[in-house]
Amino acid sequence: MTVLRNYHTSGNNKESFLNTIASKLGRERRHEVRLPDIQSLLPDSYGSLTQDDLIDILKEQCFFIHTQVIESKPEILQRTLDDLIEASGGGSVMISGDPRFAAYGLMFPGSFVWEEAAGREQNIMRAESADTAVIFADYALAESGTIVVESRPDQGRSLHFLPAHYIAVIEKQRIVPRSTQAAAALNRRVLTGEPLGSSINLISGPSNSADIEMKLVVGVHGPLSATYVLI
Amino acid sequence: MSLQTDKRDFSERTTDGLGDSFMRNAVGSAQDSLKTRRLSAATALGDWEQWRTAGQQIRQHTLQNLDYYLEQLAGNIEKKGGHIYFAATKEEASSYIRDVIVQKQAKKIVKSKSMVTEEIDLNHVLIEAGCELIETDLGEYILQMDDWDPPSHIVAPALHKDRRQIQRVFAEKLGYTDDESPEKLARFARKVLRQKFLEAEVGITGCNFAVANLGAINLVTNEGNGDLTAAIPKTHIAVMGMERIVPTLAEMEVLDNLLCRSAVGQKLTSYITVMGPSAAGDTDGPEEFHLVVVDNGRSDILGSEFNEALQCIRCGACLNVCPVYRHIGGHAYGSIYPGPIGAVITPLLGGYDDFKELPFASSLCAACTDVCPVRIPLHEQLIRHRQNIVKENRTGSMERFQMKAVGRLLSSPALFGKTLRFAHPASRLMSKHGRIVRGPELIRGWIGSRDLSQPVKQQDSFRAWLDKRKGESGQ
Repeated sequence: MTVLRNYHTSGNNKESFLNTIASKLGRERRHEVRLPDIQSLLPDSYGSLTQDDLIDILKEQCFFIHTQVIESKPEILQRTLDDLIEASGGGSVMISGDPRFAAYGLMFPGSFVWEEAAGREQNIMRAESADTAVIFADYALAESGTIVVESRPDQGRSLHFLPAHYIAVIEKQRIVPRSTQAAAALNRRVLTGEPLGSSINLISGPSNSADIEMKLVVGVHGPLSATYVLI
Repeated sequence: MSLQTDKRDFSERTTDGLGDSFMRNAVGSAQDSLKTRRLSAATALGDWEQWRTAGQQIRQHTLQNLDYYLEQLAGNIEKKGGHIYFAATKEEASSYIRDVIVQKQAKKIVKSKSMVTEEIDLNHVLIEAGCELIETDLGEYILQMDDWDPPSHIVAPALHKDRRQIQRVFAEKLGYTDDESPEKLARFARKVLRQKFLEAEVGITGCNFAVANLGAINLVTNEGNGDLTAAIPKTHIAVMGMERIVPTLAEMEVLDNLLCRSAVGQKLTSYITVMGPSAAGDTDGPEEFHLVVVDNGRSDILGSEFNEALQCIRCGACLNVCPVYRHIGGHAYGSIYPGPIGAVITPLLGGYDDFKELPFASSLCAACTDVCPVRIPLHEQLIRHRQNIVKENRTGSMERFQMKAVGRLLSSPALFGKTLRFAHPASRLMSKHGRIVRGPELIRGWIGSRDLSQPVKQQDSFRAWLDKRKGESGQ
């Protein structure tokens, strides 16, 4: 209890804070804990599904989250994206610096690219003035219609939130059943010490709110619309 | 605002709630729609009961080892260049945040919805320090514009307002000239707030779960304001109740699924983000990251008979099934945490002196316990509170006398039988047209809003009928 007395003056508030917790739990501080296997409690209801099944599940779910899904192919991806941008009124485009844009030979004349060299203010300003953002998904989760993206020097956090329309390109082999698989893959990286981006975003459709009379409004602070393009 | 939102008597607050027919309709239909949506999202997960058990075990494991996980979290946050501050009281928490902001000479602050910042009275402290603070969650922004009207639901804070009231607030305070459609109101708020995000120097968010082995926080949102709050300002301050932590991303995933489905009936909400201090080469996100871990009475619950209340993940599902919340509404609880979970944790955090009535604001129907995604035995905890309150002699002397009399009556079969026999003639003076119209305190509470039939005559009673029937059938 001497620790408690020193609390306000010691400056080392972490130790006293954690000591209080241990004493309330009626034991000494713990420095080692074995994590119980919780996952084995949960049934794997998606185990036997094929990639085609997953695509169907993803498409169906997207209907419920107000997200348009377009099937395309690498050969016609440029056209698909151009058409989509046109359909939402044209205007300016901002893309991430993802190497897959070059790999698929995609070009958007007059567009901005999120890039480290441009610095914070520039990147944010460009994203704010962009009508459409185009990005590539790291994973897609079929069950919830979610894409997973990670912040990197060439793909800032606010790129997913500032532009009015949001287009995510999903390579079909990146579709997994549900959030379980994505969380497990990310957690493996944590355990092996591989650094993760400072922001991991699971995005399921456009922004929305039901704060007024519980009526759903699509498009609040983030994008007003979201489209997934499957290739 | 702090924990307590209304200092008036509990009976005054409930009378207000019961008399507000607009609010009661709004709460009723919100409950119905959220209940249905929750059920379908829960069913879609497959074995929901199994998931609840997993959620319960994760929460219990984390609470049992809370010091270990908080220490691991602190180490990982600091390794990434972030700051972590442990605040034993609400004053420590809000003054730390104020000091960080004052040192930066920052004035413009955006906030995304966070119950714990309400609990530590942060808005008040920062406004007093001369900051321009904006709540960016649509519901909270509406409440702020309406002179900081208190929230009435954990997940839908402006549930008690209709679109016309909101239109009026926006027109008066912001010069809004369009009609009352929710879409137009939301677009208007988007436009006003977009500018605030871009100008803000500091962003303040809550934290659904901190991830210990990663050194990051997890935010679960729909509007996108939480992410903008954390992405654009150069300083991000996140505030968490000390128990809101998970070991790894794997446990976070289980709890996020339970949370989204229980709170709003979505499989996952639009935005689930795991974020922390910026990494090398980041071009947005905070240059400075602070995480404030708040005790403020929680450690007194830890290891006590109310330990399980700390499992709460603030989904609000118990509010959405509660018959009492349905009728008295969120404001009647006089706490930022209303409903069944509010009736359990408010007296724990704020003491029986101010909140001794809340555990009695329950029918003990246990719908809350049934629906809780992490299996908190809410109604049992309410009973435990009642027992403590009675033990501490906090009920009125008249009530104690009456309960003692009723107790003696019910524990003696002979006395009980005799009383039943005289119940009809004895109640004649209190009754009119077969209904009891006056009586002692215990009865007045009931007849104030409900009918109470006068006890039947001895010869018409069920017992008399049964005895007679037994006699006839020769048993």
